[in-house]
Amino acid sequence: MPIYLYLDRGTLFHRFHPTVKVFGLFAVFWTVFWLDHPVALAPVGALLLGVAHASRSWANFRRLSWLLLLIVFFTSLVWILFFRVGAPLAKVGPLWVSRASLEFGLGRGLKLAELIATTIIFLSTTKVEEFSYGLRALGVPYRVGFAITLAFRLAPLFIDSALEVVAAQSLRGHEFRRGGPLSRLRRYAPVMIPVFMGALRKANNMAMALEARGFGHSPRPTSFAEYRFTRSDLFALIALSVLASASFLAYYLGWAGIKIR
Amino acid sequence: MTASRSLHLGGPPEIEVKEVSFTYRGSTEPALHGISFVQRRGEIVGVVGPSGAGKSTLVKCLNRLVPSFDNGTFAGVVKIAGQTLAEQRVCDVAPLVGMVFQDFESQLFSTNVAHEVAFAMEQCGYSREEMVQRVGAALRAVGLEGFESRDPATLSGGEKQRLAVAAVMALRPRVIVLDEPTTDLDPQGRAEVFALIEQMRLQGATLVLVEHDLEALRVCDRLLVVRDGRIVADLPPSELMARVELLESCRLRPPDLSLLCERLGITPHTQTLEEAERAIRARFRICATACESRLDYDASASSCLPVTRVGQEANKGRQEALIEVRKLTYAYPEGRLALEDIDFAVGSGEFVAIVGRNGSGKSTLAKHLVGILRPTRGQVLLGGRDLSRLTVAEISRHVGFVFQNPDHQIFAATVEEEVAFGPRNFGLKPDEVAERTQRVLAAVGLEKLRFQDPFLLSKGERQRVAVAAALALNPRVLILDEPTTGLDFFEQRRMMELLTELNRGGVAIVIITHTPWLVACYARRVVMMERGRKVFDGPVRQFFASSELLENSAFRLPEVTALSRRLGLVALTVDELVSVLEARS
Repeated sequence: MPIYLYLDRGTLFHRFHPTVKVFGLFAVFWTVFWLDHPVALAPVGALLLGVAHASRSWANFRRLSWLLLLIVFFTSLVWILFFRVGAPLAKVGPLWVSRASLEFGLGRGLKLAELIATTIIFLSTTKVEEFSYGLRALGVPYRVGFAITLAFRLAPLFIDSALEVVAAQSLRGHEFRRGGPLSRLRRYAPVMIPVFMGALRKANNMAMALEARGFGHSPRPTSFAEYRFTRSDLFALIALSVLASASFLAYYLGWAGIKIR
Repeated sequence: MTASRSLHLGGPPEIEVKEVSFTYRGSTEPALHGISFVQRRGEIVGVVGPSGAGKSTLVKCLNRLVPSFDNGTFAGVVKIAGQTLAEQRVCDVAPLVGMVFQDFESQLFSTNVAHEVAFAMEQCGYSREEMVQRVGAALRAVGLEGFESRDPATLSGGEKQRLAVAAVMALRPRVIVLDEPTTDLDPQGRAEVFALIEQMRLQGATLVLVEHDLEALRVCDRLLVVRDGRIVADLPPSELMARVELLESCRLRPPDLSLLCERLGITPHTQTLEEAERAIRARFRICATACESRLDYDASASSCLPVTRVGQEANKGRQEALIEVRKLTYAYPEGRLALEDIDFAVGSGEFVAIVGRNGSGKSTLAKHLVGILRPTRGQVLLGGRDLSRLTVAEISRHVGFVFQNPDHQIFAATVEEEVAFGPRNFGLKPDEVAERTQRVLAAVGLEKLRFQDPFLLSKGERQRVAVAAALALNPRVLILDEPTTGLDFFEQRRMMELLTELNRGGVAIVIITHTPWLVACYARRVVMMERGRKVFDGPVRQFFASSELLENSAFRLPEVTALSRRLGLVALTVDELVSVLEARS
């Protein structure tokens, strides 16, 4: 199983300067943050679909589709049912929905989907080294940037390890889905303990290997990769800045929020 | 030794270790007791010894991982190329001492091979031009030229370890330490790494090599035997390997040739197969032409060999099929075939070894036998019942599975609790749980450790806890995925003797292994996998008689088998060959 989401496709989005990519990630997060109404979020979603297509990231969307759909569906559902504001449109027992709750719920789901989609596109087009370089260029200390990128490197390893532990404990007759929520939580101890201990061991091994390879030797590490800032990067920066500003403006003018009737 | 190599060996001391002692924090016993040795430039020194002897602690002192990383009390002096390492940070020692670790997954951080090699140079502030030049040179040196843009995660185990070597070589350190670099590798990967070490030896590198396999250490100039934190022998390989008693007392597996010479009274001990063949032919007056006619395996030829192997004493032959695999095909979610049309059965009382290169489908097949994976096509039957209709818990009452890493299941506070976990899950009464736990702990020899915290046990003991946990469910078949990885010879033998004992008691054993001598000594049937297909299923002797199968599985023949084949036989153990030769004389 490949442990990274990076897809070596060589598209324009892959070729962007790491600083632009990292700036782009935060700019889209910023943009989405200020928008609540699904209609305001829809153009950003359309834009992201276009970028996903142009950057040929669909393979990763397919790989994570179940997670994406599950999160978005349940987020929307929960907010639709529990955002109890405005005049009811329909009522079933204690549950009711209003136009505002529908808009807000769909908006939350869409917002989350866009955040996840942005992350998937970013990870599909950005190598770990580029991520680290981009963070450094934006002023994040080297060690912090490296730790963040290392987390991306480690997460899939821990997931693999957790799946193996679940299999091992199932083979000993352990059932994870018995009892109430608290009991179920306790039943995950035979998984959490080995995974946690394994993670500690792996992290320790990795830290030793890092230091043994000179990590921290120079206060200003150099970069093997060479990145050139091109005109496309400049245009991308301008476009991202415009998008982020427009979103804030929409919020400021009250165009992106939910109107309660 | 070649002339060019002997020139290197007269150099100045590259490593000087003087009176080094170290006690881990919280421990009362020192891990190292006043160790001293000198290693000259261009010398290759092997460090051997049982698990827990202090080998890794010793080599970690060479780049200050001890005491910087592993806290404790350190005393003594370590000098590399004349520089005293006291008070230096580990990262500052990196340009002097490079270290390759056993766990190759934990020492690769980058998304492509070239970046990986450049990583240490980036940390040390090298210019890009210098890095480009050195990356190319290092990759050429380890035979990974052309792999620059490959993702390290997609490399084989051997390639990953060679990449790790290239990554330390790029800094051109004075000394390279390889701490059990082949433990997690398949035979092909091991062969690749040892070929690289041989090449580095010829180029005059100063290497320190920690390794369990003595036969592989003939490449060294000297071997340090470490036991209980002390160096108990510092000898050239030829001299050390002749001291069978010392090796066994240090829980090391004597090379087959040394054991054979000892048993046959051949002195001095031979170091190569050619020498051994000559000595045996002269001693037993074996005619070359007569033997050559019997080089190929045939059942009648092998049947004249006495049955002295541990495994064969318990041979009851295949009886009813406990597990049967019919036309099993398995494809990963993305469509790649992992197994194709496998037919395979395990009968009661069998002892089967599944062999093959990494990625050949061994573990995938084993996971189907316990229902962790479900076939894409075909069937797996357990006692005639379709496995797909049973839950994993139901299957585990009949088939036990021990993962390669025992730490993937250990979680309880005591060994006893850990073993009792399975029977409790099946709702057994407390008396019965206690009785089973007691019986199983006695069977695996862990009675005295029953109240110990399993996390504090050695790897071999933790592996036995995992076996005990599986046995507590009274399985009729026990499947073990590489049960001896990372164990020293003593622990390996103990584990295999435990399995043999269980097998004698009627439990069918299936092991996945990369260790040829284990297969030769203990298994009775070999199943060989290659690219998802079963390419051989037959007796062990037939497997070891086929050059083609051995080459495809990348198995290095046990020395005694290789020697016996030169003599026209297929002996699997030293005992077997000695019996045949003595019968002839």
